[in-house]
Amino acid sequence: MNQIVKSKRAAGPAVSMARRYGLAFVSVAAALGLSLVFAHFHLPQTFGTLALSAIALTFWYAGAAPGILAAALSSIVRDFLFEANTNTESRLLFDLVFLVFALLMTRVARMRNQLELRVAERTAELTQSNESLKREIAERNQAEYLTGQVFESSPDTVIIIGTDYRYKRVNPIFARNWGKPAESMVGMHVAELAGAEFFEQRLQPFLDRCFTGENVSFEDWFENAMGRRYCAVSYSPLRSGSQRVEAALAISRDLTEFALASEALRQAQVDLAHTSRMTTMGELTASLAHEVNQPITAAVNGASTCVRWLTRTDPDLGEAREAALGVIRNAKRAADIVNRIRSISKKGESKRQLADVNVLIGEMIALLRNEASRYSISIQADLDSNLPKVMADSVQVQQVIMNLIMNSIDAMKGIDRPRELAIRSRPADDRYLMISVTDSGVGLPPEQMDQIFDAFFTTKSHGLGMGLRISRSIVESHGGRLWAANNSPHGASFSFTLPIPAEAPE
Amino acid sequence: MSCSKENKLVAIVDDDDSVRGTLHELLRSAGFPSRAFESAEEFLESGHQQETGCLITDIRMPGMSGLELQARLNAERCRIPTIFITAYGDEEMRFQALRAGAVEFLPKPFDDEVLIESVRAALGR
Repeated sequence: MNQIVKSKRAAGPAVSMARRYGLAFVSVAAALGLSLVFAHFHLPQTFGTLALSAIALTFWYAGAAPGILAAALSSIVRDFLFEANTNTESRLLFDLVFLVFALLMTRVARMRNQLELRVAERTAELTQSNESLKREIAERNQAEYLTGQVFESSPDTVIIIGTDYRYKRVNPIFARNWGKPAESMVGMHVAELAGAEFFEQRLQPFLDRCFTGENVSFEDWFENAMGRRYCAVSYSPLRSGSQRVEAALAISRDLTEFALASEALRQAQVDLAHTSRMTTMGELTASLAHEVNQPITAAVNGASTCVRWLTRTDPDLGEAREAALGVIRNAKRAADIVNRIRSISKKGESKRQLADVNVLIGEMIALLRNEASRYSISIQADLDSNLPKVMADSVQVQQVIMNLIMNSIDAMKGIDRPRELAIRSRPADDRYLMISVTDSGVGLPPEQMDQIFDAFFTTKSHGLGMGLRISRSIVESHGGRLWAANNSPHGASFSFTLPIPAEAPE
Repeated sequence: MSCSKENKLVAIVDDDDSVRGTLHELLRSAGFPSRAFESAEEFLESGHQQETGCLITDIRMPGMSGLELQARLNAERCRIPTIFITAYGDEEMRFQALRAGAVEFLPKPFDDEVLIESVRAALGR
């Protein structure tokens, strides 16, 4: 600041110095001139006063040194032109007056300089303040503009809901969704748009939590003028000035496309699982046909026997009846097998119900027993009699069991040693039960332990290689795990867990 | 081990309970006493080969198959007239069985008349 002030003074030194000292001469000369004029008109002598004015003027406008020069000049002029005949004392007195006056004026001039300095400093400070204030205002305007833009042009709905559950401000997207102009919606109660029931049950609880200061977010299906949309909503508390929450900032993102895609994906997975089941059933055709053939053969035998007992000269009705009852029994057995096939081939929606896993294992063993005996494989079941029930989709769990049994059968087809398949079920701890399928087959190469669960991985000459992948995703979607390990001395063991429901309903 | 031709017993070998049972009843209604075995091994271990005049056996069973049983009996020089009943029958198997000396090769379910006639023929021979 001082640099600026000093540099002002330093500008053009030669010229201003001439001006300043010149002023001293000029002012004294003017005082002299005026006094002479007064004297001509016979007015009282005023050179002393005028000289003082000249000195003061010079001090003020030209500075200390010129002022002192002016004082000296005035003294000289007065001495030689006016009070030539006064005595030394008076002259000295006048000189003293001029001197004192000059000294006072020196001080005055200095104070004036300081004042100027301070004023310049203040001005510079103020200018700077002003500049930064202007910058701040510009920034704030920019921020407000951007915020406004966010509000206005956001692809999400951005609205402000007051603690009275009425809209305070809504953005264009929200207005479009409801097919009303934005201004008309300000002041409306949320329930007027969403419906009283939806508001009370689905929105109000979250809004209330937000009004206590919590950030809440949730996802749900909503109905508006656009139809049924799936949205992710967040409520953030807004406080202005005071610490109290005054409103909720509600931002809602439309995720309908994603929800529909996710739904389509899930449906595709269900379809794939079904296709996989059907493929396996196709592989089982021969053994299933054989399996169904046995009771049919038995029924035909029984019917033939019945006819024979009746076609004698002396029919034995008792024997005939027994044989006929046998026909019924065996025909029902055949029907059971068909039903079992039908149930595993079902395509329907995934349904979670309380299921007894031992029953599911039993059904699969029955379905596949024939296939196993085709390859001289013995099946052993070790099922815990107190196994808790689980919440599961029976068809899907059966598919997993079927897949594991089929894999074990495949692993044992060519081997020389005894072909043994063991299925075990038991609780693993309080929260899970575990099912294991163990075989004495070719086992798993350790470096492929993880790969076997990949899609399209297969070491067989037939099949897609999707079985384990689908099995794992079924188990995981139930909340369990599926893993493989090598068995000793031979073969592999596949195990999976299923969660036991927390509240154990009988 | 000698197998004489005066043997009248019919032996049934099939791993399925219901087939075994109803076949036993069918033979009984036709006047033929029979004995049923769950597996080829059980039949061989039973020692009833000597008195068996006719063997009715399934082909595909866990353990020894029907064809293997036939071969084993032939090797032991105990030729029992054999009727094969099977759910799996294909032409090649039929040819193979008949060439090894089978009396008949019947797919399941079979006509009871054909079976009884075959049994009669086997025992009569």
